[in-house]
Amino acid sequence: MIKIFDGAMGTMLQQAGLAAGACPELWNLEKPEAVTAIHRQYIEHGANIIETNTFGANRIKLAHYGLADKVQLLNTAAVNAARQAAGSAVKIAGSVGPTGKFIAPLGELAFEDAYQVYKEQISALTSAGVDMILIETIIDIQEMRAALLAAKAVTDMTVICQLSFGSDGRTVTGTDPVTAAILLDAMGADVIGANCSLGPAQLLPIAQALASATTRPISIQANAGMPQLINGETVFPMGPDEMAAWVPKLIQAGVSYLGGCCGTTPAHIKAISLAAAKSGMPHQQICLHNKTTAVTSRSKTVFMGANLPTVIIGERINPTGRKQLSADIKAGNFASVKKEALQQIRAGAHILDVNMGVPGINQAAAMAQAVNDLSMLVDAPLAIDTSDTEALEAGLRIYPGRALINSVSAEPDRLEQFLPLAKKYGAAILCLPLSDKGVPATASERVTVARHIIHKALEAGLRPQDFVLDALVLTVAADEHAAAETLKTLRLYRKYFGYPTTMGLSNISYGLPQRELVNASFAAMALSAGLDAPILNPYNPMMKDTLATSAVLLGYDRSGRSYSKDFAARQAVANNKPEAQQSNDILSTIRQAVIDGEKESIVPLVRQAISQNYSTIEITDKALTAAMNIIGEDFGAGRCFLPQVLLSAETMRAAFTTIKETLPSAQTAQLGTVVLATVKGDIHDLGKNIVAALLENNGFKVIDLGKDVAAETIVDAVKQHQADVVGLCALMTTTMPQIDQTIKLIKDSGITCRTMVGGAVLTAEYAQQAGADAYASDGVTAVKQAKKLIAR
Amino acid sequence: MPIYFPTLTSIDIAETRRYAGLAKKPDFQTTMLEAICFEAQLLATPRASWSIYPYDSCRGLILSQPKLELTGKSIKKHLTAAVDIAVLSVTVGEKIEQTVTDYFGQGRYTEALLLDAAATTAVEMAADQINSIIVQEAQKNGLTAISRFSPGYDDWNITVQPTILQLSQGETIGITTTSSCMLIPRKSITAVIGLLPTDVKPNPPEHNNHNCQSCSQDDCSFRKESIND
Repeated sequence: MIKIFDGAMGTMLQQAGLAAGACPELWNLEKPEAVTAIHRQYIEHGANIIETNTFGANRIKLAHYGLADKVQLLNTAAVNAARQAAGSAVKIAGSVGPTGKFIAPLGELAFEDAYQVYKEQISALTSAGVDMILIETIIDIQEMRAALLAAKAVTDMTVICQLSFGSDGRTVTGTDPVTAAILLDAMGADVIGANCSLGPAQLLPIAQALASATTRPISIQANAGMPQLINGETVFPMGPDEMAAWVPKLIQAGVSYLGGCCGTTPAHIKAISLAAAKSGMPHQQICLHNKTTAVTSRSKTVFMGANLPTVIIGERINPTGRKQLSADIKAGNFASVKKEALQQIRAGAHILDVNMGVPGINQAAAMAQAVNDLSMLVDAPLAIDTSDTEALEAGLRIYPGRALINSVSAEPDRLEQFLPLAKKYGAAILCLPLSDKGVPATASERVTVARHIIHKALEAGLRPQDFVLDALVLTVAADEHAAAETLKTLRLYRKYFGYPTTMGLSNISYGLPQRELVNASFAAMALSAGLDAPILNPYNPMMKDTLATSAVLLGYDRSGRSYSKDFAARQAVANNKPEAQQSNDILSTIRQAVIDGEKESIVPLVRQAISQNYSTIEITDKALTAAMNIIGEDFGAGRCFLPQVLLSAETMRAAFTTIKETLPSAQTAQLGTVVLATVKGDIHDLGKNIVAALLENNGFKVIDLGKDVAAETIVDAVKQHQADVVGLCALMTTTMPQIDQTIKLIKDSGITCRTMVGGAVLTAEYAQQAGADAYASDGVTAVKQAKKLIAR
Repeated sequence: MPIYFPTLTSIDIAETRRYAGLAKKPDFQTTMLEAICFEAQLLATPRASWSIYPYDSCRGLILSQPKLELTGKSIKKHLTAAVDIAVLSVTVGEKIEQTVTDYFGQGRYTEALLLDAAATTAVEMAADQINSIIVQEAQKNGLTAISRFSPGYDDWNITVQPTILQLSQGETIGITTTSSCMLIPRKSITAVIGLLPTDVKPNPPEHNNHNCQSCSQDDCSFRKESIND
């Protein structure tokens, strides 16, 4: 039978006289009979579950009305008011809404604070006698996790979890329905659904997606269409019959709990309940993903299993044997951990293993920080790799997704401590067939141990879709049967269990030369034997190639399309590589290298020119300066762009450095001295820095005074360095007048040097009015102008 | 007043290329550009805060405490139909711009320029996320959001910056202004988003989407890039 919730409460309260801006929950105490009357109306119109008037009855929301200390009182009164209407036939759902704050790491409210706030409200609701808990209208999966964990901590009753999705099909903080359903199902939500924000038309695909990812009942409570603000009032346009027309489709999609949210009235609920009664039994849900194991981040799900593409678990966030990473983690510096995460994703990893096993540190704190930081940086799900129970819980608790626990072995302590955590936080487990008797040598022994772990896990409440089996890799150099037994284990796992499989590959090659080759060959064999999610170093190019070819050979990369595309892209890169200059004239070669910005090749070229007895003046004039002139012309004509000019300037710089290093006594011509500054009050210096770089590498001595420089300081510097030119920069209209003032002070001081100005808001006209000798619209022009000013 | 820490799971390479002035040079140093976007992602610490206020469009008055009367024809025209205004501040922090300065000092000019462009992309992407949250929340109340508009756009004088920062509680996420009304960190954005009732048609499109073609600032360097696209 389809369960029917009630409709909107807030608008009904307002119709009954609740003043705008007043606390709706306060009526539970002040006018309980009005609240009961609304419940009664909904029951009379077909609702068989009513929702308490406690949507905002959490400490944080109530604080807006100065009622933070009335949580217990208001929730109890709400349940009493509902009970008056419900009698025994109708069930009461304790409504739990959002705190209105974003939860860390996306917001300021600490996860534990959110958890406590929900625990307080849900305790009040359960002790007042609700029949189930309804967590609703939540826009952030982390807030839902806090509320669901709190609910599970205080009660065994049914918990319904309803998120709000936007028109893009995701929650405000980026969670899609499939990811939400997989995570909430694993965490033990009894009913999973969506409410508010959208009308039934928009919620239908959301319902379908939810139903594809969980076997739990689905609940949908839509708004009466998309809201419109007309004449200062929010109006929901959809009438009862129109709304009820969506009911068969929703039931067909797998929905078995229906109700209404904003804009729905008793009339809507009546129409919905009649339509539901006509539609008959709930449609059998088709869960597409129940033969695989899925892990999720906040916004992405990764599926593992037979007949699915190979999933790569990146192993690089592991300090074992890595001094620098170890030292960084110990020092609380997680920059290298983050870098390793991003690099592995770029290299093709789908899941990231996170190990914080540095001796002598607080592993739990390190794990919490690593998981927290990575959850903000990557959307790949994480595997929490630790043997420390506290570190495991710290990581699982803070992670806004469904992690993989690496690993659960068959030692009694491990089973006892890790399995309840997996269940509580909805994690998947990597089953490692080690027992207190040690490492099983044969495949059949490994199957026996794996079977024991699975048995214990199922006993602890885990589900078949929570397992990933490790085939265990030993060193082939120490035991010639090691590889064969692992491959046999994979086959037996497939035969007896069918769960996805994993293993760390690299152990196989320990002690052998060319380990990467051995690892890659072993990977190909293992994939063929049924390996679904190898744990490996994704940077190994040979491994990458092996995975790509295996995907073709195993039929995951249809017609080798992706493989061929990647090959073509690599060919294109190879063909684009500029060919080495064949010119015999070393000066032309240097000139071309500067134009092409070939920083690496310029050094040997300059050395070659020196060894051929070219003078520094010749090298500078005929090769380097000539190149910059060509670049300048190309830039002026729009044939090349600023970053290219800067790359050429860097190449010039490398050339000059080489000349100075090779011939310390050599004289290079200097065109003049330029003092550069961004004027007082202005903190933008990108443009000024570009001008400095170009002037320096075009033969000028540059005195760069930086940004926010007072006119007096500029005048002093000009005097001190006997500058030929002063370059002034201002970016904003508010700081432009400083240009005028600085030029005036320079002139008043009787200094003869020339002035040149530029910056985003400056124009040639403004420069002229301010009394500047030149205006430069960009760095290349600045070089030209400086040369002109010096020549005057 | 929500505070939010946007997530940047990547930095848009095409946008970075555009901000670096390379829109017409799509093959320039792709590897370097990718590495820089990657680095920007590691260096950025995105933070945002915003508040929503009623708006009196007849008087161009944001009904905050204290009230703010808008000056500038363009901003008032942009907000003609708005009944509420979201005022927001976004930053990606100082670390990224410090690295730009360091790179210049080390003679790594190209990387400095590209990192600066990547930082601009990052702060715009962070602002887009906040924009999207505001749009979704507004939809729940039957309001339609129009495009965001920042001090300094068109004729809206940047001297309003400190007030806009105050209305969005930008100080709480570490943004300050200089005496010349610039934001510190530099890679920060303040903006307003007009929220319109459903029965009110927005102004003609050119006033809803601030773009180079409609802007009166002829000398803006990004204008050339965009118009030439």
